[in-house]
Amino acid sequence: MSRNVSVEINGKVFSLPEKTNLLKSLRDAGFDVPGLCYHPRISPTGACRLCCIRIEGLRGISMACTLEVKEGMKMITTDEELENLRRVNLEYLLSEHKDEEDRSTFDELAELARQYGLDKPENRSLPNICDALDFPSDHSSPVLTYDGNKCIKCFRCVKACAEIQGKEVLSMASRGITSYIVAGFGVWGDSECDGCGECIQLCPTAAIVEKPHRSEIDVYNSEKAVRTTCPYCGVGCQLELWVNNNKIVRASGTEGLMPNDGRLCVKGRFGYEYVGHPDRLTQPLIRKNGKLEPAGWDEAIALVASRFGIIRDTYGKDALAGYASAKATNEDNYIFQKFIRMVFGNNNVDYCTRLCHASTVTAMIRSIGDGAGSNSIADFESADCLFVTGNNIIETHPITATYVKRGAAKGQAIIVVDPRYTPLVRYAKVWLQPKLGTDVALLNGLIHVIIREGWIDQTFIENRIEDGMQAFLGLKELVSRYDPAETERITGVPARLIEEAARIFGSAKNAIIATGMGMSQQVTGTHNVFSLINMMLITGQVGREGAGINPPRGQNNVQGATDVGCSPMMYPGYIPISDKENRRRVAALWNTDVEKLDGRPGLTTVEIVHAAHEGNIRGLYIMGENPMMSDPNLNHTREAFEKLDFLVVQDIFLTETAQLADVVLPATAFAEKNGTTVSSDRRILRTRKAVLPPGEGRQDWQIILAIAAAMKSDIGHYSDEAAIFDELAKAAPIMGGVSHARLENEELQWPCPTPDHPGTPTLYLDRFNTPSGKARLFPVDHAEQNEKTSTEFPFLLNTGRILYHYHTSTMSRKSEVLNAFANEAFVLIHPADAFKRSLLSGQKIRIYNDRGSIEAIVKTDEGVLEGELFMPFHFTESRVNMLTRDELDPFSKIAPFKLSAVNIEKVTS
Amino acid sequence: MKTPDAKRRILRSGKTLWNLADALKAGSYQAFEKALGKDTQEILEEIFLSGLRGRGGAGFPTGTKTKAVHTSNTHGCSYVVCNADEGEPGTFKDRILMEEDPHLLLEGLLIASLAVRASHAYIYIRGEYGRSIERLQTAIDEARKASWLGEGIRGSSFSLDIEIMRGAGSYLCGEELTLLESLEGKRGYPRIKPPFPAEKGLWGKPTLVNNVETLANLPYIMMHGAAAYRSLGTEASPGTKLVCISGDVKNPGVYEVEMGTPLKDIIHGPGGGSREGDEICFVLLGGAAGTFASVSQLGIPLCYDALRKEGLSLGSGAIMVFGKNASLKDILQNILGFFKHESCGKCVPCRTGTYHLMQSWIGGCTNNQGERKKLLPQLVAEARNIAQTCLCPLGQSPVMPLESAMKNIIELMD
Repeated sequence: MSRNVSVEINGKVFSLPEKTNLLKSLRDAGFDVPGLCYHPRISPTGACRLCCIRIEGLRGISMACTLEVKEGMKMITTDEELENLRRVNLEYLLSEHKDEEDRSTFDELAELARQYGLDKPENRSLPNICDALDFPSDHSSPVLTYDGNKCIKCFRCVKACAEIQGKEVLSMASRGITSYIVAGFGVWGDSECDGCGECIQLCPTAAIVEKPHRSEIDVYNSEKAVRTTCPYCGVGCQLELWVNNNKIVRASGTEGLMPNDGRLCVKGRFGYEYVGHPDRLTQPLIRKNGKLEPAGWDEAIALVASRFGIIRDTYGKDALAGYASAKATNEDNYIFQKFIRMVFGNNNVDYCTRLCHASTVTAMIRSIGDGAGSNSIADFESADCLFVTGNNIIETHPITATYVKRGAAKGQAIIVVDPRYTPLVRYAKVWLQPKLGTDVALLNGLIHVIIREGWIDQTFIENRIEDGMQAFLGLKELVSRYDPAETERITGVPARLIEEAARIFGSAKNAIIATGMGMSQQVTGTHNVFSLINMMLITGQVGREGAGINPPRGQNNVQGATDVGCSPMMYPGYIPISDKENRRRVAALWNTDVEKLDGRPGLTTVEIVHAAHEGNIRGLYIMGENPMMSDPNLNHTREAFEKLDFLVVQDIFLTETAQLADVVLPATAFAEKNGTTVSSDRRILRTRKAVLPPGEGRQDWQIILAIAAAMKSDIGHYSDEAAIFDELAKAAPIMGGVSHARLENEELQWPCPTPDHPGTPTLYLDRFNTPSGKARLFPVDHAEQNEKTSTEFPFLLNTGRILYHYHTSTMSRKSEVLNAFANEAFVLIHPADAFKRSLLSGQKIRIYNDRGSIEAIVKTDEGVLEGELFMPFHFTESRVNMLTRDELDPFSKIAPFKLSAVNIEKVTS
Repeated sequence: MKTPDAKRRILRSGKTLWNLADALKAGSYQAFEKALGKDTQEILEEIFLSGLRGRGGAGFPTGTKTKAVHTSNTHGCSYVVCNADEGEPGTFKDRILMEEDPHLLLEGLLIASLAVRASHAYIYIRGEYGRSIERLQTAIDEARKASWLGEGIRGSSFSLDIEIMRGAGSYLCGEELTLLESLEGKRGYPRIKPPFPAEKGLWGKPTLVNNVETLANLPYIMMHGAAAYRSLGTEASPGTKLVCISGDVKNPGVYEVEMGTPLKDIIHGPGGGSREGDEICFVLLGGAAGTFASVSQLGIPLCYDALRKEGLSLGSGAIMVFGKNASLKDILQNILGFFKHESCGKCVPCRTGTYHLMQSWIGGCTNNQGERKKLLPQLVAEARNIAQTCLCPLGQSPVMPLESAMKNIIELMD
């Protein structure tokens, strides 16, 4: 925060913050200085010349937006001449602008025109030249339209695209009076525009307007706008949902609040369509004679309760399990794990985090103590060095990526480690492209060079690592054989690039690590992350502001669901269930007998499927998860689910998984819920109800409580979600000081143990969250993969995500806008391989192995290595998880989605 | 009429000196070598004392600017940029300098770079100047080979490399901040001022931006000292000025004249006076962004202050002479059309204002002469509005020809 200084405005003394933008400060102080090109989120442009003021000591007229507040400034913000000049410039603008009311957007120009009495053309002195200029329009984008006649060339869209989103797609075409905005080479739909809509949000007139629901929005008569948290990835963007007639008609980013300060991506801005989609489940379904038939709630709840009860009574409590949801709120998930632990009486509760960052969390907890990102999102911009490994951050965490791109623009050195090209490579100093499954070797190679060159932080090692230099020497010994030549042999990464990356990371002042699915979704997932943490620890790049390790989370509440206890090993707040003292504490809070809480770890996601396959799990309760898309080896998963005695799926759509269920319970979507989620940077964020659920859809937590009651178990009574959170805060000390009430006015990151605690933006400043308070090194060796290519299956298949779709696409493929950008499964293949197989882009191929077979369109792409393939997992018609393995990482039980041996063949129609 | 050698500071003996051998024979690089032996403060002081003022049009004291860049250069990185984007209508002096004596410019750049401790200099040149570019490049290559450029020049610790950057045909890129944007590879839009280039210029570093002719004065100042330099010209405008005489005169061309020479002596002297059977009716000084002078004003000496006092401008040194066949109406239309065409469109008053000025004038041109005389003051008022709030010098320009036409030669309106 800058200090306040005194300035004289129109003869009176005011105190304004020094070095802040003068126009903003004047407006904040209540002065109505006009201006259309200025926006606090972009650099000053000085284009519209409406904020003209007079500053003592400066010649002529100054523009407030181009100056900063200085001590002792004396200024006049309004007098006859200034008002006249403003009117002149406003008239100029109006003369090249088409008057046409568009109530779908706030028109700042129209508002000013009214203020200056220029709204009626007869009051203007200049002829309108709009028709003569004949500005072009562009309707080719799926998300927006551009109308040159309404454009005032304020550059806000251009700068929104370049400075805020780091995309630089928009620019000005032509020159002078004929200037207008273009995307790419001139056609929006053909440009690199990815539809984030930042330009829409910043456009001060109706020049750039979003297409969806345009006719339904009247901003001057809007019903309501509800601030909530985006339901897509784990960034946790704050947005406002505009609602008309119980229908969401617009989403816009909330400015001034972290983590996004108004920024959204294409999914966040346009992906809300699913909420009001006609395919939503509106009533419970019960399988009768093999078919799912509509039923009443009473019947459905009674059936669920009785069938779970029968299974428990017949096969014992261990025959039941549940999948919690990375997309439901903390409150829903807290109640869910409480249900499993109190009603099922076991710890068989897990969810898709097991398939996502389980290995990362396992390694982080063991090495440094917490399974969450150590930093705040803003550190992605301020770091001098960013090490991004196995994380396609621009596509999977587009708003985190905006911070990265802004950092890159200021000279941040980015190292990308990824076996295939990701868009971040464009911004990177070095791209290391290891062969699939060789990450440990690569990281050990980097550590080798760092140690050889003496880029270690000995003070940090001695003071903050268990066994200090002795532990370090163990690591040194282990990595000694990973010299650059050997590392190149194993990984395929050129030795000189290894040296270069080690130099950049090793000599960085503040480095941030981002680690993603590429690292975690392997049988060596935990080892990969150990290796990464080793590199971070010996260089001392953690334990202080602006440095650390961050696993960006893939779903809106994948962080929170574990935080609130949806883990087979941990109670809310990462408290091990195996400890009796912990059980006693939880039992007291839950008003139950400690002996009723099971102290044995439960089964993890894939283990539950295995157990079902073997007949050990008989009943399964799935809340808001779609394992029939997201689990590995889907044919095996299907067999397992079909073997279950009873499967309950609680969801908002009839997903691939729900189609196999015995009972389907209609739940609520994010916009119909109150509650909280936790972002990747441990920010506890509010979800607020904007619309009513369709049909008979109910709140997840209420459904769970109803089932518990029907099973004659009392697991608590809650007036609302805030009450659930209050109990959760008592259970989980990391959120002990958080409440819904506090979240109305405060931005809190856990740990926040007490009501007066401000939250913790950076972890480990004083100590690591291990028993000793020190971090631990876990030296690990490279291990050969079990899954290898063969003559039969000569390709290694990698899987991942794309910008336009989300996880199993249950939500995103309901959006016409998102589908307009991408709606077809594809597989990337190196051109040399395509040539050998006589394949052309656009042809359909079959990808198969022993586990399954799918079809997809082939795309040749130099971004994958020869012998490797890449496929997104979003498309139900080409479920790539038919081909992945369910062999597990022994430590975290994560499945190796990133490496499967396959073969391909052309499909002849 | 030839300017005597004693009155030359820039156009050396009128010969073409574009080979290094010829240039060396004529004394090239001796001044720089002398400067190499001095410390930076001495060089800065010499330039300051010479009283040299920027020859691009604004007439800002070169010494003050050079010192400011030197002072801002606290991190050991600054740049020197030569503004060779000679785009003002009627101006062609820099082209002649660069074509005939490219080493003089290089030597000026060496001295300026030495003064502000820059190790990289750029010549931003009008893209249409093919011959200038070719000869400058040859000169740079030859100078580099002979160690007048490059690492450790002539065995000293001073290094400089010079790069040529071609402009792409925008008048506005001759404005220094726009030029820097363009030089950085961006679109030629003017930057917000302040900061000035001396504080934050090219890539945010302290940058000295000088016109070709300004830089060409430095070798003389270094060689002979400030006092010798000041022996020509006036107290406030020392030295000589290259003028570009064009239009209805006998001998159009570039001439080096002493500052303070009355305009009529220039027009009738080197310019040779009006053509056979014609007479001089009015003069446009400084190009499109310049001012109209009546015949009765031609006694004014050519120097910054005397002209400014009369509401006239020296500008780039363009002197366009118009005889009795010239149409003031058409000339104004041409000028207004020029500004409309060259307005970059970034700021509202210039983008739309230059368009409306042009349209109003065209509209007025369909009426009679009396109407046009009445229209002119309206345009002046409009142009004043534009000038008050526009972002860069382009928007401040239309008022100059309009106002001076109104004040000085309105009776000549056709």
